[in-house]
Amino acid sequence: MGEILLKVKDLNKAFGKVVTARDLNFEIEAGVLTSIIGPNGAGKSTLINVLTGLLPLDSGHILFKGEDITGLPTYQRVRRGLCRSFQVVNVFPELSVFENVEIPVLAQMKKAGHIFRPVVKEKAVAQQVMEILERTNLAGEAAVIASALSHGDQRLLEVGIALAAKPSLLFLDEPTAGMNPVERVDILKHIRRISASGETTFVIVEHDMDIVFSLSDRVMVLNRGDIICDGGPDHVKGDKQVRECYLGEEVVA
Amino acid sequence: MSTKATYAIYLGIIAGLAALGLLGDRFMVYMGMRVMLLAIFALGYNLLLGRTGLLSFGHGALYACGSYSMALVNLHLTQDPLLGILAGVAMAALFSLIVGFFCVRNTEIYFAMLTLAFGMMIFSLIWNLREITGGDDGLVGISRGSVFGLPIVKDGQFYFLVLFFFGLTLWLVHRIRSSAFGLVLAGIRENHQRTSFAGIPVKRYRLAAFVVSGMFAGLAGSLGAMLQYNTDPFSAHWSHSAEPVLVSLIGGLQTFSGPLAGSVVFVVLREIIERYTQNWMLWFGIILLAIIMGLRGGVMGGLEKRLRQRAATRKGGE
Ligand SMILES: Nc1ncnc2c1ncn2[C@@H]1O[C@H](COP(=O)(O)OP(=O)(O)OP(=O)(O)O)[C@@H](O)[C@H]1O
Ligand SMILES: [Mg+2]
Repeated sequence: MGEILLKVKDLNKAFGKVVTARDLNFEIEAGVLTSIIGPNGAGKSTLINVLTGLLPLDSGHILFKGEDITGLPTYQRVRRGLCRSFQVVNVFPELSVFENVEIPVLAQMKKAGHIFRPVVKEKAVAQQVMEILERTNLAGEAAVIASALSHGDQRLLEVGIALAAKPSLLFLDEPTAGMNPVERVDILKHIRRISASGETTFVIVEHDMDIVFSLSDRVMVLNRGDIICDGGPDHVKGDKQVRECYLGEEVVA
Repeated sequence: MSTKATYAIYLGIIAGLAALGLLGDRFMVYMGMRVMLLAIFALGYNLLLGRTGLLSFGHGALYACGSYSMALVNLHLTQDPLLGILAGVAMAALFSLIVGFFCVRNTEIYFAMLTLAFGMMIFSLIWNLREITGGDDGLVGISRGSVFGLPIVKDGQFYFLVLFFFGLTLWLVHRIRSSAFGLVLAGIRENHQRTSFAGIPVKRYRLAAFVVSGMFAGLAGSLGAMLQYNTDPFSAHWSHSAEPVLVSLIGGLQTFSGPLAGSVVFVVLREIIERYTQNWMLWFGIILLAIIMGLRGGVMGGLEKRLRQRAATRKGGE
C-alpha cells in the first residue's frame, strides 16, 4: 500500500439545487492511477475545483498528506504538491510557450521573487523548462506565443504547465479533449511513464472509455454528486448500475 | 534585441540628454527635466499597468506623498536633497503598502475604484490639513541645497541630479522587467488564476508591483517639488494619475521604451498646443485620440511592429 495522498471527508458542494458532491468520502493512494468518469454535469470538474481551492466547499474536510488543507488558498495547495490542469485551455496566451512553463518552474524552485537578476541567467530553471517541454513534445515550439499554437499543442501546454509545478498529486481534467489520435497516444505514453516513475500520481477525468480502462488502476464513477461505483477497471466495467446510468452499450460492445 | 544593444541605446539617450543639459538654453533644460520626471513617473507606473495589468487612480496621491514628504523634511529637518528624496520615496512606499494592502484583495475593476477612493482621501487630507501641508497654497520655499558639495541651485545644475535619477530609473525598471519577478507579473496580467495554480501568491505579487511603482511615483514627486520649489496639492488629485496612463498609451503599453517616447510626446505636444490656444485639452484630446487609435500599441509598439515586418520581408526576400 502506498502513502495516502488525499483524504476527502464528508464533502458537500451544491450550486443552489444542483448537488455536485454529496457526502463524498474517498482516498487517493500514491502511485495508483485513478480515473474519474461520469456523465456530463456529474460534478467531476467541480470536484477538482473544490479540491484545489478554486471554489469553496459547503462542508467537509480535505486532507493532503495528512494535513488539513480545507481552508488553504490555491497557491498553498500547489506548493504542497497538489495541482491540476483545466478542461478548457487556460494558459498565458500572450507569453511564449517557454515562459508559460517557466512561471510554475520559477515558483517551484523558489526563484519567482528574484527582482533584479535577469531571468535568462537562471540556467537551472531553463533546463527544467526544456525537460518539461520535451516531455510534452513542445520543445520545438518553445519560442512560439501560446495563443498561436494549434489547439492540440495548447492542450499539451495545458498539461505541461501543470506538470511544471512538480506535483505529487495531479488532476488532469479531460487532458485529451480536442487532441488528434497521434497526440493522444503520445500524451498518454508520457502520463504512463511519469506515473510509473513515481514522481506524480495522476487522477484523470476522461470521457474516452478505451483510454480510461487501459490506463487506470482504479476508476471512480460520479453521478449527480454521488460516487456510484469505485474499484478496478474490470469491477467497474461489470457493474450493473454503472452500465445503466452511464456507460450504456459502449462497454458491452 | 540583445541586452548589449539595449544598453547601448539607453547610454546614447543619456549621453544626448547630458549634451542637452550642457548646451541647451534655459527653456530646453527645463523641458528636458519635465520630460525626465514624467518618464520616471510613467516607467514606474507602467510596471503596474502594462506589466501587471492593474489600473491605478491612486498614483497621483503617491506622487504627492513624495512631494510633500520631501518638502516637509526640507523645510523642517534638513536641506540635504538626497535625504529629502529618500524620505519622499520611503513615504510613498509606506503609503502604497497600506493602500495596496486593501486594494489588491479585489478584482481589477474594484482595485481601480479603491485606488480612486484612497487617492481622493489623500487629496482631501492634503487640502484640509493647512497647518502641515499649506492647504491650497502647497508648501513653498523649498531649497535645493547641494549634493556632495556640488551646488544644484541653478536649473542647469539641478538638471544633472534629475538625469542621474532618470538613468537609475531606466536601469532599475529594465532589470525588474527582465527578472523572474517581472515575468511573474506578466503572468498575472495574462491569467491571474493560472498564476496561482503555478504556486504563486498573486495578491502578494500585485502588492509588490504596486509598492515598487509607488516608489517611482514618490521619486518623481520629490524631484518635482525640488524643480518647482513648491508642492502642488493638485498633484495628489486622481486626475494626475491619468498622466502616466496617457503617456504609456501614447508610447506603447507593452514596451519598455513606450513611457519614454510617450513622455516626450506628452510634454512637448502640450507645450506647443498651449502656445496657440487656450483650450489645449480639446486639441490635446483630439491628437491623443488619433495616436492611440491610429497606432495600436503606441508609438514604440507601432515602430517595433514596422521594424519586425521589415526584417521579416527582408528574410523572405533572401
Ligand atoms: N460555477 C458554477 N455555478 C453554478 N453552477 C455550476 C458552476 N459550475 C458548475 N455548475 C453546475 O454544476 C454541475 C456540475 O458541473 P461540472 O462542470 O462539475 O460537471 P462535469 O462532471 O465536469 O461535466 P463535463 O463532463 O461536462 O465536464 C453542472 O450542472 C453545472 O451546470
Ligand atoms: Mg468537466
